[in-house]
Amino acid sequence: MTDIALSLGPVFFNWSPDRLRDFYARIADEADVDRVFVGEVVCGKRMPFNDPVWPDVVERLTQAGKTVILSTLALPSNIRDRKAVKALCEGGASIEINDLTAMPAMGAAPFAVGPFVNVYNEGAASFLANRGANLICLPVELPLSSVGTIARACPDVTFEVFAFGRLPLAVSGRCYHARLHGLHKDSCQFICDRDPDGLPVDTLDGQDFLAINGIQTLSHSLQVWSPSPEEAANLGVRSLRLSPHTLDMVAVSALYRRLCRGEASPQETRAKLRELPLPGALVDGFTRGIAGAAKAAS
Amino acid sequence: MVDPIPGELPKPLRLLAFPSRFLPLGPALTLAVRRFARRRPAVFERLGEHARASFLVEATDLGQSFLIIPDGMRAEIKVLSSRSRREADVHVKGPILVLLGLIDGTFDGDALFFNRAITVSGKTDALLALRNTIEDAELKPSDLAGLTGEAARLLDKAVFGAIAGARRLSGSQGQGEAA
Amino acid sequence: MSIELVCPAGTPSALRAAVDAGAHSVYCGFRDETNARNFPGLNFSPEELTEGVRYAHARGAKVLVAINTFAKAGAFDPWKKALENAEKSGADAVILADLAVLDHAARNHPALRLHLSVQAAAATPEAIEFYQQTFGVKRIVLPRVLSVEEIATLNAAVSVETEAFVFGGLCPMTEGRCSLSSYVTGRSPNLSGVCSPPEHVAYEEGPGGTATKLAGYTIDRVAKGAPAGYPTLCKGSFVAEGKTSHLFEDPVSLNASTLIAALARAGVTALKIEGRQRGKGYVAEVVRTFRAAVEAIEAGRDEVEVERMLAGLVEGGRQTSGAYKKTWR
Repeated sequence: MTDIALSLGPVFFNWSPDRLRDFYARIADEADVDRVFVGEVVCGKRMPFNDPVWPDVVERLTQAGKTVILSTLALPSNIRDRKAVKALCEGGASIEINDLTAMPAMGAAPFAVGPFVNVYNEGAASFLANRGANLICLPVELPLSSVGTIARACPDVTFEVFAFGRLPLAVSGRCYHARLHGLHKDSCQFICDRDPDGLPVDTLDGQDFLAINGIQTLSHSLQVWSPSPEEAANLGVRSLRLSPHTLDMVAVSALYRRLCRGEASPQETRAKLRELPLPGALVDGFTRGIAGAAKAAS
Repeated sequence: MVDPIPGELPKPLRLLAFPSRFLPLGPALTLAVRRFARRRPAVFERLGEHARASFLVEATDLGQSFLIIPDGMRAEIKVLSSRSRREADVHVKGPILVLLGLIDGTFDGDALFFNRAITVSGKTDALLALRNTIEDAELKPSDLAGLTGEAARLLDKAVFGAIAGARRLSGSQGQGEAA
Repeated sequence: MSIELVCPAGTPSALRAAVDAGAHSVYCGFRDETNARNFPGLNFSPEELTEGVRYAHARGAKVLVAINTFAKAGAFDPWKKALENAEKSGADAVILADLAVLDHAARNHPALRLHLSVQAAAATPEAIEFYQQTFGVKRIVLPRVLSVEEIATLNAAVSVETEAFVFGGLCPMTEGRCSLSSYVTGRSPNLSGVCSPPEHVAYEEGPGGTATKLAGYTIDRVAKGAPAGYPTLCKGSFVAEGKTSHLFEDPVSLNASTLIAALARAGVTALKIEGRQRGKGYVAEVVRTFRAAVEAIEAGRDEVEVERMLAGLVEGGRQTSGAYKKTWR
């Protein structure tokens, strides 16, 4: 049985350069993950602030033995965003595309595909594989039954499942942080930096519901997919993606590593995760083909 | 429009509440729908899984309810007093004119939910299927009243005219997303 | 150059109504999961489509078939059949979103004209170029995230036709990239061709008024007797930082009628009216009005006069010109 790899997904939130530096330094030194996706995927306006951080972060992670992949914007919306995507794709580094805007610039180079690209079936997966895709993190709403079908049909591609973190549910042309604070997107004052795990959105009855992060809408709850090594292998899933939050991601990755090695049961893993200061409940409905908000078993 | 109470039935149209000439209203309507199904069976395919659903339609201004199972040639319509309690998959309550407006497309699937004059409970998806089916069938009030010729033309004109007036009751937006 | 008016048809009778009212093109879909309006009782059988195409062609109108969902893994047949049936019906184009469906159509139906659905969310010249060069796509339905100025810039940079929504429902989220509906109900546009599906909708009377609920979540609450909206998730009322608001979008619909001339100047080939779920009475009225407006603009008539023609449509419901004006963001 091949080992299940662990990936740390890109940070969705507007973290300060200092926070990013500290976070990745600790990941490099302490986190037992195989791959780290870095870069801004949500809002191009944040790039001028966090761009200077990446060269150091990439070097530090690489030296620590991690595979580093640069993630690109999910919704490039202006000429500056488009140029940024193009420059990254043509730069020769390993790239994760999150929008097909990146395709012409990728040329014949291999690339990874993020969960923002619509790969819902084996036809789309093999189309992208023929164009150079070697790792595909499937869309979050895809049930495991479909994941298995797709993975079995494309054995040459590494399939990754979004296994931990608030679910990225939608992106918009509109910035909800700006809208909530009565600001215009073009003069947003970058107030999304106040909510390093996203800003909670409740229903009128006070139920935890969603979280906003600039133009992005996430679930309030956290996805948890904690398969046994056999379950993951049977589906053809070879990698799990852990999405960064402000809680101790080193601890999260350690729990998942034990799970993937068969040293901890799925139930034990979820119990240990629940001991961490999670920003929301644990859900796993999408994996089961039902409402994504359905609570995960204890 | 001239309606004193928007959405309620102008006097001449209260005729609709009366039994047809030969049969009580329920059996007459049942026959009319089955006759229609024989003529155009494809229309009812549109209902899909919802063909066997039961719809309790309460015309608040008539004091009458209609229990409808729209299953093509096996369709059934019963006329009940509003007071009688019946179980059904879908309950729809509103003034007869607004209910009739569901037929000609004046009030559509979206407006159904926006219209303060109509209350819907139960399987809303079945109601949507029924509404879309009826609209595509181009069913006219006269088809249901069992009228033909000039009488049918007059009834349809009167009902649709009144419905147009009731239209203002419905302010509606659609969901986004299309093609 | 004349503007093409693309109009919705949820049923054969709505197709006839739209054609009779002056639609240049009508778009519709099959009665299954292959189209993004998979609502109960809507859409066409293959026979009904063939009949609809005959009706439209006899009156000089075109029919575009939306096969714009993402095929289910391991179950590609319905999408294959939909492409076959669309071609057989004599339809003028198919509107596609899924890479697998586009790839299959380009390989197996070379004579079929391909349009890219808004569900594919191609918003940049690079993405558009990719779809054009890879699949031979002839027209892009533009995502509703662009301003008129951005559309003009985009059209200058690409050689495909573009189509822009001008009226009807409005998604504040990027279409084809939204899983809010499935998060709550298990069904979404990409997975099942529906958003906030009706079987999960309920209205509950309570002391605070009527709650509109979607799968048990309160999406909005209105005073007893006031019109209650359909609980589309993104148009709901929520609480964030102690503030209650329609955080994502007000319960409004899109009306870019005042921008028809500007969109035409921006190089848009076709204007699209949303509303395959709407009744034929509504469709006919909107189409008739827009057709008159388009003709007035082409005849060089005053824009104020055109605005007046369209004023009747805006009565009642609340409207927005959406992302076409940059302030929306």
